Parts: sequence; C-alpha cells; structure tokens
Amino acid sequence: MTTTIQIEELVKVYRGGIRAVDGVSFAVEEEEIFGFLGPNGAGKSTTIKCVIGLLRPTSGRILIRGTDVRENPKLVKRMMGYASQETAIDDRLTGWQNLFLQGRFFHLSRKEIAERGEEVLRLCGLWERRNDSAGTYSGGMLKRLDITAALIHHPSVLFLDEPTLGLDVQTRKVIWEYIERLRTEQKMTIFLTTHYMEEADALCDRLAIIDRGRIRAIDRPGALKAQIGGDIITARLGAPAERLGALVTAITALPETVSVNPMEGDLHRIVARQRGDQLIPEVFALAAAHDVAVESIRLHRPSLDDVYLHFTGREIRDEQGSREEIGKTRMRQRRLRR
Amino acid sequence: MTFLSDVWYVSWRELVIYLRTPVRILMTVIQPLIWLGLMGNMMQGFARSPMVGEMLGTTSYLTFMTPGIILMTVLFGGAFSGMSVVWDRRMGYLEKLLAAPISRAAIPFGKALAASVQAGIQVLIIVLIATALGVRLATGPLGLVAILLIAMCFSLIVSSLSLSLAARIKSHETLMAVVNFLTMPLMFTSNALFPIEAMPGWLATIARYNPVTYAVTAIRHLTVSGWDWLAIASSLGVLAGLTIIFLALSRFLFQRATSE
Repeated sequence: MTTTIQIEELVKVYRGGIRAVDGVSFAVEEEEIFGFLGPNGAGKSTTIKCVIGLLRPTSGRILIRGTDVRENPKLVKRMMGYASQETAIDDRLTGWQNLFLQGRFFHLSRKEIAERGEEVLRLCGLWERRNDSAGTYSGGMLKRLDITAALIHHPSVLFLDEPTLGLDVQTRKVIWEYIERLRTEQKMTIFLTTHYMEEADALCDRLAIIDRGRIRAIDRPGALKAQIGGDIITARLGAPAERLGALVTAITALPETVSVNPMEGDLHRIVARQRGDQLIPEVFALAAAHDVAVESIRLHRPSLDDVYLHFTGREIRDEQGSREEIGKTRMRQRRLRR
Repeated sequence: MTFLSDVWYVSWRELVIYLRTPVRILMTVIQPLIWLGLMGNMMQGFARSPMVGEMLGTTSYLTFMTPGIILMTVLFGGAFSGMSVVWDRRMGYLEKLLAAPISRAAIPFGKALAASVQAGIQVLIIVLIATALGVRLATGPLGLVAILLIAMCFSLIVSSLSLSLAARIKSHETLMAVVNFLTMPLMFTSNALFPIEAMPGWLATIARYNPVTYAVTAIRHLTVSGWDWLAIASSLGVLAGLTIIFLALSRFLFQRATSE
C-alpha cells in the first residue's frame, strides 16, 4: 500500500520573510481522514496550497501517491480535488454550469461530465436543483456543491480547507456527514484543515496540531486527549500575586497534580493525574490555608481544546489577519449566511 | 488543443454571465444612443460650415463621430475586464482555476477573448443604431466586418492591459482608479470625437501616437471615405503588434503573480 500524501520537511517562507511553514513532515494513508488543527495564521492553508501547487515551497518534498508535485504538477493535480475556504462557486451560474466548467478545466469529455456530474450531484443531494442559479442556494448547499465540484474528475485525495467555516451548527453537521460518506462510499483520502475542535474530534482519524508553522503533535484525537492525563479543573482564584504564587506552588506539589497553568483573568487550569473530583477538596483546603478565595471551580474531561493548549501553550484564537483576508472573511460570511 | 479549450471555457463563463444580465446589454445600447443622439445632433451645426466639413471629411458630424463612439465603447468596456479577476480572486475562483491542470495563460487569454466578443456585440449594436440615425457605411457590409475585426482587436489590447494590472492589483477601488486614469486621457487625446487637424500642436502630436487614434482612423476610413488600403493596413499592423505585446504581458504577469 502506498502512502497517499507524504510530506517531508516542508518549508515555506513568503516574500516578506514570514516563515509560514517551518519544517513540516507527515504522511497520510489511504482512506484516512487526516486533519490539520490550528488557529488562523498557523500555516494550515499555506501547507495545503503548497501541496496542491498554488504556492511554490521554499524547500522540502511533497509526494502524492509517490509522484513528486514539483516534477509532474499536472499529473498530480488530476489526482487531487480541492475545495478552498472561500466556497468558490460562481453564483451567477447554475449549479450544473459550475460543475460543467470544473469538469472542462480538468479536461473531461462531455460524456464523462454528464455521467460523473449526475453521480456526484445525487450524492450531495443537489440533483433536483441543478438547473437553478447557484445564487438561490443556501450556504450549506453552496458548500456541498463546492466539495462536489472538487470530485468531478475522480480524484483520489480530497483537500478541504476549513470546510465548515462560517456555517451554522446544523449545516456543519450535514457537511460532516457528507464528508464521512465520501470516505466510506467513494473510498477517498481526505485532508482537511480546521480551527474547530468539535470538527477535528468528530471527523478525523488522525490529527496534527500545528502552531506557528510547526507540527506540535500527531495522533488519533483520543490518544492526544489521553496524553494530557486525567481530568481538568478550572478554578477562579482571587488573591494578591504573592499569596497566589505560594498556593500554585503548593497545588503543583500535590501528588495528584500534573500541572497548574495560569490563564486569562484569575483563572487557573489544573491538570489532574487521574480523578479530578478527589483533587478538588485538597485544592479547597490549600486555598483556605493560604487565605485565597476560590470564586468558582469547574471539573471536566480533557477536550481537544485542552490538548491544543497543552501542546501550544495558548488557546486557539483567531489572530488578526491581513486587510485582504478580513475582506474575504466578511464576504464569505455574507455569502453563506443566507 | 487543451490550451484552446481552456481559453474557451474561461471565456465561456464570462459570456454566459454577460448574456444572462440583460441590463448590461441594455446599457451598452443606451450609452451610444445617448452619445450619438445628443452629441451627434448638438454638433451638427458645426459640421455644416465648409471649413469644419473639410476637417471632418464629411458634412455629417454623426458619421464622423460613429467610429469615435465605437472605440469609446470598446475602450471603456475592455478596460473593466480586469475587474473580473479581482472578483474571482476574492471569491476564491481564481485559486480554483489555478488548482486545475489548466495553463495559467488561459486565464487572461480567455477573459480577453470574452471582452473581445462582448465588444463585437456592442459594436454591432452601435452600427445598427447609427444606421437608424442615418449614417451609411462607405464600405457596406464588408466594411462592417472589417470594423468588427479592428474593434475586437483593439478590445484585446485594452482588456489584456487591464488584466495585466489586475494580476498585481488586488482591490476593486485601486484598479478602478488606475483604469480611469488610463482610459480617460487615452480617449480625449485621440481623434475619436475631434479631428486632429483642429487640435493645438502639442495635442496633435500626442494624438498621432495614441493607439486609439490608429483604430479610429482605420474605422473612420471604412465609415466615411471607403477602402483606403494603406491607412487600414498600417493601423492594423500597429494594432496587431500591440495585441501581441499586451497579451504576452498579461501571460507573463499571470504566470509570475500566481507562482509565488
């Protein structure tokens, strides 16, 4: 069995000197849903764009089913389907016309487009609406059509850049089911990027956490969560800095504690070795001893949020993008919120 | 062959959109109608004076002006073809095209072709309107074919210039400003609405080198005086040269701008 996507030491430095991707290596196996999780600006889209040939990597090697992207870009492009963040459907054309053009740009014959087009439109449930202008479609329909258009040439790998960005919760679920079905029914290998934890958790077989151009961890979502340890206690502690410092040291010293991290405000995040419920009384006792008020306390199982925080030391948060990017985001949201 | 198919489907998209928006087609009819109807009649008084008539080469200002309006429509229409690239870039469609195994040059070439076909349709409409207003082409139907050819060729030049700009310029506003900055002077330093003979010396010099003048002169010969082969051939030579240069420029810039 060949590895579907193999990336070795990929580096991309933009003209301005920004190292968007800084030595990324990973492999995706056949029929796997592999996710890239990270905040905006982490290097997710840049990696995807290097792989599908929209950007030229500064260094490193990209192999798709054993073929080097740089050596044979046209052959590789035919093996890949790509749906961008922007939902690139021309809403002045009908659904069918959009699909037809996509097929033509992949040099399919009319007959192939007719057969394959019907198949994929039925798969995504838009066959009845094919002759309506895409301008009348809802946000979820546009996204499904967009992903569908990427399938017209029978690619073996599908690249989805933020497939549910700007969609509401119900629509997001529909897209997730659709992606799952593509894998099971069409035997596709799917590479997706996301900054939604639930999405990565629900969809991905394996996950890479990427931050500032580097991969911090790769594993199954469950295994990543297991790596952090047991329960997580989030406590709001109100006290002056010196008393708080002493308390934190005392809690860290407890045998049941893995780590204590200060977060925004007075919040502290305590990772328990196993059972957090047994740790809570001890935290209270220590707080009383140090004359620190526990204003609130919460116990939960580790989520991917915690995994992310664990590996990158920061929460996933949208970072300020360029002016153009903000414009793009606004336009995308307007398009999708119909 | 695949290259031609790529070019054709890029322009097919533009043309389908164009033909689906009747308002745009209607506007292309109304604009020249206003110009010809208002300005053509307004200036008619001048053209009756023998001296002016000699400069214009005809006693009908309307006839003199029709080639100018043709060029004006083609110039302004073609100049905006770059907007579709800015739009496509925002929409993510440009990326989608680049992710497909098509030649990158097919994008500007296809869009320029679409602009050129649109120009052809518009010119046909203008000639029909002018005919209804009493203008008679000196060279008849064959002349019309030649006029279409020149106008479409000119459209390729302007649109590939606009597309070249759009390869670098990423906002609508900037592109709009730059395009206006270029088209307005090009229009008013040409002989489109005013004979060179009546211009002050400095303006006449500029006008003689203005590419718009080359196209207008050739079309004016076909409209007013007849088959003046020398004038037509020299104009066509210049226009063909410019077409090749600007198409090549757009190809170069698209390959560069999209291969960072």
